[in-house]
Amino acid sequence: MPELTVITGGTERKITFPGGLPLRKILEGAGLLVRSGCTGNGACGLCLVKVEKGNDGNLTKNERLLLSASQINEHIRMACQMAPQGDLSIRIIDEGAKSAWRELPQESGRPITAKSGQGTGTASPGKTFGLAVDLGTTHISFSVWDMAQGKRVFGRAGLNPQSRFGSDIITRLTAASESTDNASVMGRLPLEAINGALADGCAENGLHPADIRHARFVGNTSMLALLTGSSPAALLRPDQWTRPFDCATANAPVFAAALGIHYHASVVAVQPFAGFVGSDLLAGVLATGLMSAPGSLLIDFGTNSEMALWDGTTLWVTSAAGGPAFDGYGIRCGMPAGPGAIFRASRRLSGGGVDFHVTGGVRARGICGSGLVDLIASLCETGELAANGKFTGGITSYAVQDEDPAICLYKPDVDKFQRAKAAIGAGVRILLEMAGINTGQLNRVCVCGDFGRNLNVANAQRIGLLPYVMPGKVEICGNTALAGCEDVLLSLRKAQELEQIRKRASIVNLSRAPRFEDFFLDGLYLMPMPAGDP
Amino acid sequence: MDKLITAILDGDSAMAVSQARQLNASGLSPEKIIIEGVEAAMSALDTKCTLEDFNLLEIMLAGRAVMEVTKLFWPSGAVKDSAKGTVVIAALEGDVHDLGKNILKMVLTGKGYNVVDCGKDCPLQKLADTAAAGRPLAVGLSGLITTVIPVVRQVKGALAARGLDNVKVFAGGAALKQSTPGMLNVDFVAESAFDVLRFLSGLGNGLG
Ligand code: B12
Ligand code: FES
Repeated sequence: MPELTVITGGTERKITFPGGLPLRKILEGAGLLVRSGCTGNGACGLCLVKVEKGNDGNLTKNERLLLSASQINEHIRMACQMAPQGDLSIRIIDEGAKSAWRELPQESGRPITAKSGQGTGTASPGKTFGLAVDLGTTHISFSVWDMAQGKRVFGRAGLNPQSRFGSDIITRLTAASESTDNASVMGRLPLEAINGALADGCAENGLHPADIRHARFVGNTSMLALLTGSSPAALLRPDQWTRPFDCATANAPVFAAALGIHYHASVVAVQPFAGFVGSDLLAGVLATGLMSAPGSLLIDFGTNSEMALWDGTTLWVTSAAGGPAFDGYGIRCGMPAGPGAIFRASRRLSGGGVDFHVTGGVRARGICGSGLVDLIASLCETGELAANGKFTGGITSYAVQDEDPAICLYKPDVDKFQRAKAAIGAGVRILLEMAGINTGQLNRVCVCGDFGRNLNVANAQRIGLLPYVMPGKVEICGNTALAGCEDVLLSLRKAQELEQIRKRASIVNLSRAPRFEDFFLDGLYLMPMPAGDP
Repeated sequence: MDKLITAILDGDSAMAVSQARQLNASGLSPEKIIIEGVEAAMSALDTKCTLEDFNLLEIMLAGRAVMEVTKLFWPSGAVKDSAKGTVVIAALEGDVHDLGKNILKMVLTGKGYNVVDCGKDCPLQKLADTAAAGRPLAVGLSGLITTVIPVVRQVKGALAARGLDNVKVFAGGAALKQSTPGMLNVDFVAESAFDVLRFLSGLGNGLG
């Protein structure tokens, strides 16, 4: 059999393989990961490898579309597209999600010391600890609480290791419905990842994981379904989209064992609302107290953005899959927020050029979501970008940094951003339409999710990403899903309140909204959102 | 005619309709307006449809202008008795995305085809029945979500079961365009809606 040499970091690994198999499959079989955002059908163009030696065959149609001329020159290929026949030596360009956990930012979740922290009233003597988890498609965040004192001991955020099955929920659900092996691995992966980080955090903070006697999970419906082993196939059908979706109850002893917490711990995955609206949104509504005043809108930005609007009687909820542009994926110069990411940008008032701020004080490697909003808004302001998303004056791209590495915003990137924005804009306007109010009647706009943390609200409004309301009405709320989960963990009253929220909620199916296409078209423009009809 | 072409390219529906109305009042037939005005505009758009230059907003606006002009002459929105033939299109069962399909419809209508639209989340049987009734030149499928691929693979079989073996099937859209015709069991996979025009004209005008 031919032999494959894989160079990662300074080390080399040799693998024998049957000829004709896609390289991505060979690598996966050997436990080597390569970044990917699709099923391996050539759609995402993320699975890049560099061929060092050997015959790698011809480029496929997808590679010719997605690779740049300079990449082709450097023998860069897409791993899922090439099927080597003979000995080959390659280097993996990006291994994708590594599960490095970081400390949860202080402002994440609910206040570190809870005002209402009366605990769930367990009878057990001594200290009782609790675990709250927000299980997202890309990220997992969790925190550990001293239940009696209502105090956070520590928190961690990391990446969801399921992403090796694909970065979007559809690819993962498909993989899970194709094989029960996949399904059970995907159910286990997040628990194992949390287990590791939990053990570390506990050791650092002088407690034992077995002291944790309560665990609560919130998440989007697909994540909860994969976690609890509920039918993933059902979630792929549009008719399930708006129906209530019951996940299997978490098997407490099994979960407790996998997490390494007390073997009698109570483990609850808070039920999602419907096929595509999860308990993460309900938790967000709880944490923001959204239903305390009518005219309150919540947008939780993500690959699949969820939205809720309270009109005083009904909580209108929906979700719009705008794609991962706000997380920096799918954009050529994009990257997730983190060290090396440009998170803020503004036009220099004189002399031209952009001033930018980079996370971690290192040299810029790319732009994350909030930086992209700033850059696009600035270019619109100077007139270099027209409201329809086209560069003016005959240019086709804008260079932010010339080299090392070159960071450049291209027209197709602007187009991707426009689409993601349009999906959210259409969602917001349809919710407003259902509630019969216009943007002028909005009293609160809660921006949730990591993306919001560094968002320049004025810029976001200028290009129509957020409704045009007085700046003071916009609240940047952070990870409200985790905050709501913590509420549920710590307070029985809050847990009951969440069930009340569920009863007032009504799901809106965007695919049935007659005006979706009109609103989507409006939303493609880089200009403020119209005030609305009613 | 140039003003009509410019109005369509600018995506200015109102201007396009008023230009078409004027041309018609001055004695030009609707067919001639479609061929010399709308089709010429479509060809100009085609060149903008490269990966580097694509702008969804621009294409959607131009498409809308085309549909408005078509509606002026054929209020149902379809070019009836089209000499070029009929094309049946759909977004199949499990896929509720129809923006791509609507663009396809506008482009084909603009080029003078009679388009029968089966809508989104369309069951295979409904598509096959519609094709059986419409005697189309071809069936077009738009797919935006990867889970629809297994359904796409069954289309040829469903058509064959109704004796429509010779109806060509083409596919496109973000979830399908990466595949080869063999993987999808179709005759042609298009990158943009304009590629289909070349494919269809290559079929000649023999009705299926
Ligand atoms: C708008 C949108 C929606 C709307 C759709 C409304 C509607 N009436 O169409 C709503 C909100 C309802 C929706 C719902 C969902 N969506 Co959605 N949606 C999108 C979005 C933002 C844009 C898609 C779009 O319309 N593009 C415009 C079209 C016109 O562009 P295009 O495909 O490039 O088409 C061009 C060419 O390909 C060509 N073309 C198109 N079709 C055809 C056909 C032929 C024959 C030819 C020749 C050419 C051609 O014409 C166009 C112009 O040239 C994308 C994300 C994104 N940024 O693209 C996600 C996206 C498609 N959705 C996605 C998902 C997951 C969903 C949901 C399952 C998720 C959810 N939680 O809500 C649901 C349910 C979907 C279902 N079961 O079908 C995923 C699919 C992932 C995957 N692996 O397949 C995407 C990619 C987002 C993501 N990255 O997660 N969505
Ligand atoms: S292109 Fe997506 S994994 Fe290769």
